[in-house]
Amino acid sequence: MKLNKLLFALVITGLAVLSTASPARAGGEHPAAQAEALRSALFTAQRHLLAGEDGAPAELEKAQAILAGEFGQQLAAADPAASQRLQAAFAAMQAALDANDPAAFSAARAQAWTAVLAASYSRVEQAVRAGDAASAQTWLPVREFRTANRFSRPNGDATVALLGLANGEVDSETAEQFLRADLYDTYQARLNEALRELAQADASNFAVRRAELAGLAQGYFAILAPAYAEQRGEAALATAQAAFADLQQAALGAGNLATATAEVHAALENFRAAPLSPEEQARRAGQLLRYIYLVPLEYGRGVSNGQVTLQFEIQEAVTFHEAAQAAFADLQDVLADTDSAATANTAALLDSMGGHLLAANTGGAVAEPRLLNQQAEEIMSTLDTLMPEEWKQQSVAGDFDVITSMLDQMENAVRAADYAMAESARLEAYAVMESGPEARLTSLDPQLKLRVEALFWNGDANHPHGLSSLIARQAPLQEIRSVRVALNSELQQVQKLLSVQSAPGAIATNAAVIVFREGLEAVLILASLMGSLKLQNQQYRKPLWVGTGLALLATVLTWSLARSVLLSLARYGETLEAIVSLIAIVVLLLITNWFFHKSYWDNWLAAFHGRKRRLLSGETGVWLGLISLGFTSVYREGFETVLFLQALVLDGGSAVVLGGVVIGLLLTCIIGFLTFRFQSRLPHKKMLIVTGIMIGAVLLVMVGKTTYVLQLLGWLPAHTMGITLPYWTGMWFGLYATWEGLALQVLAAGIVIGSYLLAEGLKKQNRKAGAATPG
Amino acid sequence: MKRVVFVLAALAVLLTACQPAAAPATAATGGSDLSGIKDYLTAKVAELEGASQDLVAASDEYYALAEAAGFDYEALWADHSAEASQAIQDARAAWLEVSPLYEQTEGIVAGVPTLADYDVILDAGASAEEDPEGAVPFDIELPDGRVLPQPGNLFGVLESTLWGTYPEYSSGVAADVDGNGDSFSDLLPDANVLKGAADLTHSYIVELKDATAAWSPTESDAYTALVVMVPTMSEYFESWKNSRFVAGDASTQRDFVVISRLADIQDILTSLQVVYTEIKPQVTAYDAAQAEQIEQGLADLKAFVAGVYADEQAGKVFTAEEADVLGQEAQDRATAVAGQVAQVAAALNVEIAE
Repeated sequence: MKLNKLLFALVITGLAVLSTASPARAGGEHPAAQAEALRSALFTAQRHLLAGEDGAPAELEKAQAILAGEFGQQLAAADPAASQRLQAAFAAMQAALDANDPAAFSAARAQAWTAVLAASYSRVEQAVRAGDAASAQTWLPVREFRTANRFSRPNGDATVALLGLANGEVDSETAEQFLRADLYDTYQARLNEALRELAQADASNFAVRRAELAGLAQGYFAILAPAYAEQRGEAALATAQAAFADLQQAALGAGNLATATAEVHAALENFRAAPLSPEEQARRAGQLLRYIYLVPLEYGRGVSNGQVTLQFEIQEAVTFHEAAQAAFADLQDVLADTDSAATANTAALLDSMGGHLLAANTGGAVAEPRLLNQQAEEIMSTLDTLMPEEWKQQSVAGDFDVITSMLDQMENAVRAADYAMAESARLEAYAVMESGPEARLTSLDPQLKLRVEALFWNGDANHPHGLSSLIARQAPLQEIRSVRVALNSELQQVQKLLSVQSAPGAIATNAAVIVFREGLEAVLILASLMGSLKLQNQQYRKPLWVGTGLALLATVLTWSLARSVLLSLARYGETLEAIVSLIAIVVLLLITNWFFHKSYWDNWLAAFHGRKRRLLSGETGVWLGLISLGFTSVYREGFETVLFLQALVLDGGSAVVLGGVVIGLLLTCIIGFLTFRFQSRLPHKKMLIVTGIMIGAVLLVMVGKTTYVLQLLGWLPAHTMGITLPYWTGMWFGLYATWEGLALQVLAAGIVIGSYLLAEGLKKQNRKAGAATPG
Repeated sequence: MKRVVFVLAALAVLLTACQPAAAPATAATGGSDLSGIKDYLTAKVAELEGASQDLVAASDEYYALAEAAGFDYEALWADHSAEASQAIQDARAAWLEVSPLYEQTEGIVAGVPTLADYDVILDAGASAEEDPEGAVPFDIELPDGRVLPQPGNLFGVLESTLWGTYPEYSSGVAADVDGNGDSFSDLLPDANVLKGAADLTHSYIVELKDATAAWSPTESDAYTALVVMVPTMSEYFESWKNSRFVAGDASTQRDFVVISRLADIQDILTSLQVVYTEIKPQVTAYDAAQAEQIEQGLADLKAFVAGVYADEQAGKVFTAEEADVLGQEAQDRATAVAGQVAQVAAALNVEIAE
């Protein structure tokens, strides 16, 4: 009895697991399997007919039997019109068999199959509207997909939407939108493909293929007909349907195929059945803005004094222009709804730009870069007024599209052994990364940010080489490609991580964290320096404050630069940081040395000689040094902070980011105030010790970070230690896992300690000398 | 005051350390044991290495004969026809072993991003002449110092050299190498081209072996291979349609002249079936019916191609239009299988690499 109960429980559990593991199925064999059996039987019938073999009638009967069952009944109930087409197609196939006419059979077979697709789409749509996710999931596989190849993949939008519907994460309306977008897009792609192949079949004089492809085109258009009618009206639909009917007849030999094809193409001009989803629209908008911006930038680099000096830059400009035009074509209708005249003007400007680029690229007239700049600015300014706010904000996917296309260019350039072009494309990709996604990434997953950075530049423990170092030594494509693959994988992770639109609160917090983190570093530097000057060298605090004030001003000015200018500077971001940091280190080393000597030695001398031998010479140099130290200490990270904040502005708007900046600054001020107050309360000797340690620590961190940046740039070699340090060791201690970084930090520490010991030694020597001198 | 300082400091530390916007939740998909894919590939590539070694040995043999004859191929054939014929036949036999062995790995090699370049190099890449942008990334340096810049994939170069379908890679001396009286393929190969290409092929196969050893298959690799490679049917059928198997003497194709592309397709599908077997448990856990349908779809596709191949082997010569119709059917079946795999990947949140 107990065993029976146990068995029963196991069976029930098993059934429950099965029912939750897979989407619910309607009774009987799966519709997709039935559809495939029907399709396969019809193809076999056609093959027999074409080869003049027996067996075609039996296959047709097999298909008819499938249609007579529950599968056919459900299709008929879902879409009576499609069902009628299906019946007519079966009658036509029977007639073709009787007449031994493979071409007519082939045309009818295509009509039958596309009618099945149409009816099954209706079935899924009805189920979705009724909120019946299980039925929708059961029937969705009775569909076709975009023909995949090595470069394009079928998308899974409808499947994922239905999964969301089943899980209660997506409502019926949204699921229906995704379903329509996916299937309309698929069938329009198949329609276009059929028309392309029809021309080829005609050229090869393949009568059967010609008839089949015309049948497919007509059938696919029947699926898209509701969208066509909605966009262009019933009269236009009737005209288009007549054109497809003519095409079918012409393909069967009863008319002029060229004329019929031209009519069909005219009917389809500018028709897009699948409306772009809001996310796709925003993505295309992001692409459009970035590509337009890049066109004059690349063009300007490739042209000098009316001559093309760097052909590859022109080619890059052409590529970006083509990409911009493709994105614009997808948005044109939506933009025209807002302002058709402005949209037409933008289209004309894009065409004009294209004309200039074509001329420059083919040895014709070379337009002034200023002209393309003006055109790009006009386009961007028009788009700014035409595009809804959400298009301008949701830019993550657009950023990654641009990065991908630039890295593709890099690979192509390497393939063509054009390493200069490869490096330019790599830098451009990195600039987009740094000025866009990196800000949020730094907050969300700083470790991932380091990995991406290493792959863009000189590698890390896991990847001994990065793209920059490989391009610099003109490595073969294989090596570069393997790093690209690793980078792709990391970038996909980044994109996934950033694909969720941040809440304004999260964006503001990000901004606050960035400002606070950078501000804290500046506070530490300033506090240590100010502390060292607090006692008898108060006059030297002023130049430090002046430098700090100038740096803040420069940071604000940087912020106010247009985003386009910032993006163009972003590719030099690391170089700028390296140079400013090097200046800061040199000045800090001088100041450290000066501090020890001034605090101990000079202080002692002053007391002993009554300030007679006070160092007055070199005062201007000290002032300038201190101003530059104040400036470089604060502006060192200022530029990067601005880039990050600007990227956040794209994501959440100025007001939200400024709110975060205010919070970050406020916290920095509080910490600064407390630090200065704490310092001022320390007794003299303790304060000297604390200040000395702080300056030394700041120098070590600065040396570590600067070494890292220099290694990124390839200005210093990088030998990794074979370990991966967490992000915070770099962030807070400038500690990165390279031998050079560690060695330079040890050297810096040695200089600081050496300077201190020298000062102490001099002090003792002078004491002895003082003691020996008669009073 | 101290308390305020402590609270503020704690707040600051918290703010600095916090992760403001949480990462989106993703469906857990890990845990598939994909070692079978690597084991299969490793074993096949090891066989491939052995076969390519035979190819190198035969080409060395032929090169030595040609060198001894001062690269005077008329003299070579006049004085050493038996040895030369044997060396060429050996090289052809080795190629006939190497090529199908590679095809049995191609579904994986070409479909996995980190290995895909080897497919371009060995089997798929075009010459600079055919496709300047997408040409193979290597030049062949010949023993006599000549360089063949980006000549196209190595198997193609070897095939057209061994069977004389590209005059530039032959010596220009006609000889009934296989003694069958048929004029097809009866040109003595240029020994320099043969040796240069064979050596380079072997070195790339050794590289492929190392790359395979370093590769750890991921779910993304497996799904990507299926989605990318299954639908390449149309390319193969197109190539078959234009080959001498369909177009006969009208064919101008330099390669795919000795092994029908239909055989290659079956070999490729074999490797993809291995891949699918490894992910099937995961697909079954998501949707058992779909898992079966994909498996059946792959099997049906392979059976369909095998049926056409059997007809061809039995002597049937297909017309170009028949080949086109059959190619479209194979493509439709392949697109349906790839589409289904892509749907499962999307539902399980497995990345299909670009």
